[in-house]
Amino acid sequence: MRNSNRIFMVKMLLNSLLRRRSRIAVALIGIAIGATVLLGMITLCYDVPRQLGQEFRSYGANMIFMPAGRATSLSLDDVNLALALLPAEKILGATVYRYASARINLQPLTAAGTDFTQAAQTSPFWKIDGRLPSQDNEILIGADVAELTQLAPGMSALVSGRNKNRVGFNRPMLISGIVSSGGAEDGFIFMNMPAMESLQGNSGEADMVELSLTANEEELGNIAAAINGSMINIKAQLVKRITRSEASVLSKLESLVYLVTAVVLLLTMICVATTMMTIVMERRKEIGLKKAIGADSKNVGREFLAEGLIMGITGGLIGSVCGLIFAQLISDSVFARSINIEIYLIPLTLIISGIVTVLACLVPARRAMDVEPSVVLRGE
Amino acid sequence: MFRKMVKGALVRQKSKFIMIAFTVALGISLATAMLNVMFDVGDKVNQELKAYGANMNIVPRGSSLLSDLYEVDENYDIQAGAEKFLKEEDLPKIKMIFWANNIVDFTPYLQIQVKIGQEKADLVGTWFEKNFKLPTGDEFSTGILPLKPWWDIDGQPGDDEILNKVMVGKELAEHFNLKPGDSFTVVTDRGERSLTVGSVFQSGGREDEQIYAPLQLVQNISGKEGLVQRVEVSALTTPENELARRAAQDPNSLSSLERDAWYCTAYISAIAYQIEEVIPEARVKAVWQVADSEGSILQKTQLLMLLLTFLILLCSALAISNLITASVMERSAEIGLMKAMGAGNISITLLILYEILIIAFSGGAIGYCAGIGFAQLIGHTVFASAVAVKGIVIPLIIILIMIITFLGSLPAIRILLSLRPSEVLHG
Repeated sequence: MRNSNRIFMVKMLLNSLLRRRSRIAVALIGIAIGATVLLGMITLCYDVPRQLGQEFRSYGANMIFMPAGRATSLSLDDVNLALALLPAEKILGATVYRYASARINLQPLTAAGTDFTQAAQTSPFWKIDGRLPSQDNEILIGADVAELTQLAPGMSALVSGRNKNRVGFNRPMLISGIVSSGGAEDGFIFMNMPAMESLQGNSGEADMVELSLTANEEELGNIAAAINGSMINIKAQLVKRITRSEASVLSKLESLVYLVTAVVLLLTMICVATTMMTIVMERRKEIGLKKAIGADSKNVGREFLAEGLIMGITGGLIGSVCGLIFAQLISDSVFARSINIEIYLIPLTLIISGIVTVLACLVPARRAMDVEPSVVLRGE
Repeated sequence: MFRKMVKGALVRQKSKFIMIAFTVALGISLATAMLNVMFDVGDKVNQELKAYGANMNIVPRGSSLLSDLYEVDENYDIQAGAEKFLKEEDLPKIKMIFWANNIVDFTPYLQIQVKIGQEKADLVGTWFEKNFKLPTGDEFSTGILPLKPWWDIDGQPGDDEILNKVMVGKELAEHFNLKPGDSFTVVTDRGERSLTVGSVFQSGGREDEQIYAPLQLVQNISGKEGLVQRVEVSALTTPENELARRAAQDPNSLSSLERDAWYCTAYISAIAYQIEEVIPEARVKAVWQVADSEGSILQKTQLLMLLLTFLILLCSALAISNLITASVMERSAEIGLMKAMGAGNISITLLILYEILIIAFSGGAIGYCAGIGFAQLIGHTVFASAVAVKGIVIPLIIILIMIITFLGSLPAIRILLSLRPSEVLHG
């Protein structure tokens, strides 16, 4: 008995779904749109703060290493030990700088030795006219230096000074480019670290390390504390201007995305619900007929529930696929990066769209069930 | 007759139409909120990014190297008179350029070296938070405190009127063991001066090793009355594009039309150029670290909002059309009857469109108001300020409603027109 009842139920469901193909299509589109927005927005909501965080790294270094205590320089061995303490995937760039006084065509200024591939990561805002030095006899000069000395890329300049042991050096070097940043760099000259080491006559030393890490202010604080705790010769410090501002701006942008997502989700769910209600409302006659031939309210309710569930899940599936495309599309065109997909969001979307659809079906179905069959059917 | 029929239909099928109007209102409120936020998000985020501080530096022409040299090579002898200065009285002119409203904050600096005991220290004169009246009659308040919101200040912030009270950087304070309320003496070639520590601050940069004092005090100590070394300016700017890059290289290479377009856009190079126009002895440098990043973040955020808005408009349009299709399709019996009584296709189409448009517009009007509310909610929660209501949203919304209703009714009308009265009415 129960078995045949179940078969009848399945038959009725299938029939009801297949017979009213165009109506079901309309409902499915509605649910699918809802699920698309749901999954798309939630995925974006998860990922956008991370993507924006990456964008903020264009402000450059957010942590620096300096010599601790009375030391005047860092040893590169210590720096490497400290870098090994950092989670490798968080390091975007770590640029070691070594400074020295030098003269260029007898004008006194600061010379810096560094690694230019790393510098491009920690100072992405440098504007280079010409190219970065690739050989040890090339230098990059700041815009103010270029203006003062009237030097241009391609010209050669005499770099002179004294090394640590007060021994003078005097070396002609080729200018490969001019760097302008609007900051202190405009008054510096830059060269490769080996070039600086050969001028200074010793190696393995640095004055400062700039780091660009993908981490928020709190994580950075923990990292700095960990390094200061375990390295005696290095003092890690946050670049507060960058970290503090990033924290405040990023939190605003995050809450913007969250709030927009919340509003959009709410409205979309209501939209889905109203679509379902309209579609169910027109089935009063059908319900009346079912009741007239002996179905009780429970049976009718159960049928609506099952129908809603099937449609919710089917629509949810279609919507999940579209939603992932939607999120990927936005991430790709805005940040030129592909999105991180959280797999567990897909079943969540299915469940939510199922629940919303069932709830939306139940309200008008219940109202229809209260109607006397004779009243609904009298027109026939 | 036409009006009577429309009225009759609207009244009879009240609950169904209310449902459609409700859905339209929801969709439109979403569209209104998103459009308004989208149009305003650029300004809002731009304001937020001002937290990164100055994006322009004003220095006197030809002296930009000196302060860095000073630090590095102590033996290098700066000849008296070789150093160049800007005049403090020129500074209000910065607020009188074409893009004056985009200048958010600026503050001057005058840095001298003093001795505390036997050790050297930098004493920097600046405006903390200075109010002044512009020749135009407007009041303006600016200084280092609004310019550097990330400073952690322990104690009382500096005051431009209390000359002897200074703000001391954390590193320097620890080195000399100074706390808020302490007094100390600075020595210069021109004499001694006793100062009080108003507060200790931490900025995470070079400022931590300096002392900040009211500008007037440093001018008095150094005998450089009315002079400043450099000025930091924070301005709202438009992201650079090809035109701005060409202008930055040589403003004279532009055609007069291009030049006007460049001059009248808030590019950083245009603002820099305008400041150089009012203060001829100044050289204005863009701080690319701030200016460039600002541009890229601003563009990304705007693009994100634009795409989200577009996709959400599309989704709400689809959802609404969907609902309209569903509701029109179930009126087959009614339409069949009309046809049986001799109604033509055109009059039926007109009737249905007219009904739907009335509902959609009344729903749209409610939705617009609700949407403005949503936009303000977002503005106040996220940016703690109201989102500007842009007039352009209204025509956009009207066009949107028209498109939605026409597209939404199209498939339904096609079905209704192909109905055969006998089939629907055979009962």
